[in-house]
Amino acid sequence: MEKLLPERENAWLLDKYLILFLLLFSLFIVHDSFGQTNVPVQGTVLDSSGQPLPGVNVVIKGTSTGTITDLDGKYSLDLPEDAILVFTFVGFNAQEIPIGGRSTIDVTLEEDLSDLEEFVVVGYGIQRKSDLTGAISSVKSEDISRLPVSDVTQSLQGRVSGVQITQNSGAPGAGSTVRIRGVGTLNNSSPLYVVDGMLLDEIDFLNPNDVESMEVLKDASATAIYGSRGANGVIIVTTKQGSFDTDTKITVDAYTGVQQVASKINLVNAREFAQLANELEQNVGNQPLYNVDDYGVGTDWQDYIFRNAPINNVNLGATGGSAKTNFNLSVNYFNQQGVVKESEFERLTFRLNNQYKFSDAVTFGHNLSFIYYNQQNEPGVIGNAYRAYPIYGPTQADGSFTDTSPVGNPAAQFEYNSNNRTNNYRGVGNFFMDVKFLKDFTFRSNLGLDLAFQDAKSFTPVFFVSPTQQSIENSVNVENVRNRNILWENTVNYSKDWGDHRLNLLGGITTQDFYTETLGGMRRNLPGEDPSLWYLDAGELTSQTNENYAGDWAMLSYLFRANYSYKNKFLFTGTFRRDGSSRFGRENRFGNFPSVALGYNIIEEAFLQNQSFLSNLKIRGSWGKIGNDKIDFYEGRPVVTGNENAVFGPDEELIYGATLTRLANPFIKWEETETSNIGFEFGFFDEKLTGELDYYQRTTNDILVAVPIPAYVGSANNPIVNAARVKNSGIDLTLNWRDRKGDFSYNFGIVASTVNNEVLDIGDGNEAIFGGDVGISGYLGSRTTVSQSIGHYYGYKTVGVFQNEEDLSSIPKRGPEVVGDLIFQDTNGDGVVDNNDRVILGSPIPDLIFGFNLGFDYKGFDLRADFNGTYGNQIYNAKKQTRFNTYNFETGFLDRWTGEGTSTTEPRVTNGGHNYEVSDRFIEDGSFLRLRNIQIGYSFPEVALNKIKVQNFRVYLSGTNVFTWTKYTGYTPEIGGGSVIGTGYDSGLYPLARTFNVGISASF
Amino acid sequence: MKTMNNKINYKIAAVGLSILMSVGLISCEDYLEKVPLAELTSENFFQDELQATHAVNAIYAHLRSFNVHVFSYIGITDIASDDADKGSVPGDSGFLQDINDFTFDANNTAVNGIWSGYFQGVFRANQVIVNVPEIDMDEELKSRLIGEARFLRAYFYFFLVRTYGDLPLIDRPLNADEYTQSRVSKELIYEFIEEDLTFAAANLPEKSEYPNSELGRATAGAAKSFLAKVHLFQNEYQEAFDLAQEVISSGEYGLYADYEAIFQREGEHSSESIFEVSTVALEAGGGSSQFSEVQGIRGNPNNGWGFNSPSDDLMAAYEENDPRMSATIINDGDTLPTGQVVQADPNMGENARFSRKAWVPEVPPSGFGNSGANIRLFRYADLLLIAAEAANEIGNQTQALTYVNMVRERARQGDDSVLPDITATDQATLRTAIWHERRVELAMEQHRYFDLVRQSQAQEVFAALGINWIPGKHEVYPIPQAEVDISGGLIAQNPGY
Repeated sequence: MEKLLPERENAWLLDKYLILFLLLFSLFIVHDSFGQTNVPVQGTVLDSSGQPLPGVNVVIKGTSTGTITDLDGKYSLDLPEDAILVFTFVGFNAQEIPIGGRSTIDVTLEEDLSDLEEFVVVGYGIQRKSDLTGAISSVKSEDISRLPVSDVTQSLQGRVSGVQITQNSGAPGAGSTVRIRGVGTLNNSSPLYVVDGMLLDEIDFLNPNDVESMEVLKDASATAIYGSRGANGVIIVTTKQGSFDTDTKITVDAYTGVQQVASKINLVNAREFAQLANELEQNVGNQPLYNVDDYGVGTDWQDYIFRNAPINNVNLGATGGSAKTNFNLSVNYFNQQGVVKESEFERLTFRLNNQYKFSDAVTFGHNLSFIYYNQQNEPGVIGNAYRAYPIYGPTQADGSFTDTSPVGNPAAQFEYNSNNRTNNYRGVGNFFMDVKFLKDFTFRSNLGLDLAFQDAKSFTPVFFVSPTQQSIENSVNVENVRNRNILWENTVNYSKDWGDHRLNLLGGITTQDFYTETLGGMRRNLPGEDPSLWYLDAGELTSQTNENYAGDWAMLSYLFRANYSYKNKFLFTGTFRRDGSSRFGRENRFGNFPSVALGYNIIEEAFLQNQSFLSNLKIRGSWGKIGNDKIDFYEGRPVVTGNENAVFGPDEELIYGATLTRLANPFIKWEETETSNIGFEFGFFDEKLTGELDYYQRTTNDILVAVPIPAYVGSANNPIVNAARVKNSGIDLTLNWRDRKGDFSYNFGIVASTVNNEVLDIGDGNEAIFGGDVGISGYLGSRTTVSQSIGHYYGYKTVGVFQNEEDLSSIPKRGPEVVGDLIFQDTNGDGVVDNNDRVILGSPIPDLIFGFNLGFDYKGFDLRADFNGTYGNQIYNAKKQTRFNTYNFETGFLDRWTGEGTSTTEPRVTNGGHNYEVSDRFIEDGSFLRLRNIQIGYSFPEVALNKIKVQNFRVYLSGTNVFTWTKYTGYTPEIGGGSVIGTGYDSGLYPLARTFNVGISASF
Repeated sequence: MKTMNNKINYKIAAVGLSILMSVGLISCEDYLEKVPLAELTSENFFQDELQATHAVNAIYAHLRSFNVHVFSYIGITDIASDDADKGSVPGDSGFLQDINDFTFDANNTAVNGIWSGYFQGVFRANQVIVNVPEIDMDEELKSRLIGEARFLRAYFYFFLVRTYGDLPLIDRPLNADEYTQSRVSKELIYEFIEEDLTFAAANLPEKSEYPNSELGRATAGAAKSFLAKVHLFQNEYQEAFDLAQEVISSGEYGLYADYEAIFQREGEHSSESIFEVSTVALEAGGGSSQFSEVQGIRGNPNNGWGFNSPSDDLMAAYEENDPRMSATIINDGDTLPTGQVVQADPNMGENARFSRKAWVPEVPPSGFGNSGANIRLFRYADLLLIAAEAANEIGNQTQALTYVNMVRERARQGDDSVLPDITATDQATLRTAIWHERRVELAMEQHRYFDLVRQSQAQEVFAALGINWIPGKHEVYPIPQAEVDISGGLIAQNPGY
């Protein structure tokens, strides 16, 4: 059968590679065209205490030619005899030295005391790190672009305390579930993203190479300025900016690699399957179906659907600036084939960040990005590869696809169901204007725009594999989505230093308006299968269906913040935001969100001045109230469902119908999260050892929850009410050790977070909220109830297997059990097993989330390793429980009970029924430790590079998801997605990929 | 001190401040006032005659839904009974095998689906019953629409009460503080159903009074017919007989001559039809039902999933050469009227059979999941047999024989050598004969299981089939476990579950 591939797409891919190659090539040509008589100069750069300074910029004045000092502070350059060398380094005063015919120039740089401070990006501004009163963690660009992934949030994994990043799946382009300090609501618990001032719900479009830093705002002091948007934490992303008066630097970053499935699920072979399936039939009184001796190993369908898949990334950047303008621009191409066939993601990103100084007082700037990305999803083969019988092969002798009923044939799915593609076109950016006036005031107007267009198309040909896997007419589906998100923020900042006092005041008004519209259609009976016909007009008019719906919301906010510092020692921050949202009814439309925080830099006290043990000590505390507005656009309004059409008469006319099918609650109001935080920041041994320790408590009140109402009410949904309260508390710890011994420097970092989640209330009259779809109608595996954690697993505890008739008559049971079935614990000891005997079986929320990282540098070599993991959480293996039919078996079934004494844990083989009740049979340990990334690199010596006008050239080898230590039997213990009242369900996830890549990083 | 530059700066600052002030002028209420797009809300619905009609149409639409008249429906009516086995391939949809074997529990998918599906229908009906009286509109149409809604509510409740016994009585859309309800006795539920049907009978037009294009809407005759059946299920034979008699003498209905054709396109809305769910197979979908697909031939021709397989016991129940057998059952190897020879999916095992009454000869656009075959809920033959059974119980054997023999006469299809008239006048013998007639006449039409329970012969019948049907338990299905769980103890489980 001829594969229905859109050939044009492939041709286009080749074109793109060609263009990028030519671009790269031309860069090398450009930089090989200089030539002049030069003399060699070398030297060492030291700080005032005589320690060598690595990383100092050494540039010939008036050119872009130069180098940086190595780990010993040494440099060497070839340069004209009359040149002037400029030495610059962050935190030090620059020096200019004419070489005057010398061949050795040693320099001592003086520390710039005014510039010693590290600054941290906060909401609507930046702040001295020493002035911070909030809990904020930062990750810098070098750690962000290291992973070969499309999703930038993954670089926070294991690097920032208090943050749990869970990859939603291993599919190309898949995002992550981000939880900051636990789950504070039963609803959307995703943080707010702020990209260069633009408030967004996701950052799928971001090119990791463009990111300068990511700041995670965790406590109320930091997040309250975002009011109702900040209850789940805030991640501020700052993209790379140019600097005024800086020579142009061109950077090239590229890698190429290969991905493979990190681990497979152990499934039985054909012979074992035949044996188990026969037993299964006999267990229900039927004749065996297979002659076991006819079968051998058979097909492992996983091997059939998986492949080794390439991943590629190329990034070109240029940055620099004159006295009046600066720029940072980049172009990036990312392509990832999936480890499951027929899945792919590619993305092309342009970025243009410029600033224009109109006068000393007025600066104008923009951060613009244009993105095209497209995605093809695998056709749903993963679940089928898990379930399909190993006794069948993909095709029969005549080449036709095998009828693999009751499971769909994955080979046929690849052939017929993978003609889908989603294209995304996105423009995200902002224009801003800063005006300084009346000496200490700055006014900023920031206009942000996010335009997103998506078109998705899928085509299904006519085919027949089996009665349940067929299509009798071809069809094309088209769906276009457009989103518009406009943000306008106007703020005034007052900043004043006098004597021991430092004061910063911020006030502003912001508005945001969002609109989304979807337009789609379907037609059947296209006159052919060629991709040139995959358009609605080619289909039959009478078969058309169409859809067009829309939604919008708006927000109006007033914000205010005061920062005050006295003698750099005593710190105060107060914030207030008033938000109005269209999502709530008039009565409850506005909410007020205040916070206050205090800080004390103990290290500034006189009694700590003359010692070398402690280099930093700060204590800070905060309290605040923040809101969460992440509910549907019109949640409070009962909407009428249209097109509930009736049919009447012998002519079968379709007559329009519409009615209320769902309930809604017009009285919903904001969820409010109260957060308290106390934190310590410390440094020892001249900042060799640094760390932060925070303890927090977050209590969310009035949580909006769709409390399952009785089905007899008759609503097609469960309306939401402000019913629940949840408390999270925990400790976030960050520790870093860095030191240098001669040429050898190293660092070691640990982040660790604990989350203690407790539900305080779930609404009047509710004993428990059940959630967690195990895949079988009416079965829910998670329960949320007072004084326990959200969405813990709840069901029967197994205590053995009925070995014989005597067991069956003497041990309490539910009723339908026979010998060989699981024994469930009679918890209340009343002699029968029923729903009252169900117990808590575990929780998807880890006791501990941790990461650690190691770094070594020796001469030009560097080695980095990142580990991360969780401890104490469980996973619900739902795919194993879903057995409507006889499916293939995990190898665990081989340990089944087959007669007295054969097993006390694994029951006889059955589909459904007693052994498939919600029980700990399906709950597995989800703890894991993963070697997330290991990278070894070599930077060529500057001496060699300077000859070819290259500033910096590094090559590296990298391995990602190299190894995972876990007891979990599925593809990966990271289970993302799901509603918060039912998380941790593995219903057949896209497997995790292990990636090995090589890359280069160069600048000119 | 002011330089030129500073002046410019002040100008820019002034512009900036005016921007800031203009933001402040945005009217909060207008800016934040967003009405749902592309949909009505309860605030602007139920305003006029048209919307009232739309809301009633939406109740009919629900009759086609999966949880009302498709998979679970055939499960708890036919597959549960002695007429049919689960069908399909052995491993497929084990919850229906549990229904067949009476090994199901309160988490069974079918039990869950029926409960929520039928109560969602009640919800739609209640919207109309509560809101339409307030609308200023044509009074005649208004009472008809309310009559239709009450007929349909009664239909949903009648199915529910037979399935579960005692039920929460939901006679209006509940407010948030009213969700907690207890079950009321099935006697009260039956009273509630009778009130609805009595209202419907008094306010609905007869079938002949509707224009052709409206056939399929509830009628006075349908309301009386259901009322007759509702009384029969409470062993109130005199009422059942009187009501059936009233419908029979109305002249609105008659037996359709060609038994087999009743279930084909030509039999839709025929003289035989008292109430049926209208469906249509459009290219664009939106008017169909999967009722036929789930029962369709699995194999070749490939018409569906092959569930609801007529049992050996049903085969044996037919009298010799009863033409209804071939109009009810498709055997593996049969030749269909289309000339196709049936080849069942070999995985179904030996003696694979399919329901002929759910057979659709032509492939609907986009497949059998988009079938336009109507779902027959109440046929005139059913009514005649109700009349016959009730007549026999009240001692009117003459009438009983008349009605049962009307059914047999049509069943002969002109062949006088088969299905001789029943002549027994002994009440018990005649009762058995009528029950048997009811079984074969209405086989595979989702009546049998409820009849077996009503006639108190379930235990005996199932025992003969080796199925452990437990008296005191299996007369009703369990309440869905999730419903019991969230009720805080107010919804008690049925005994034995």
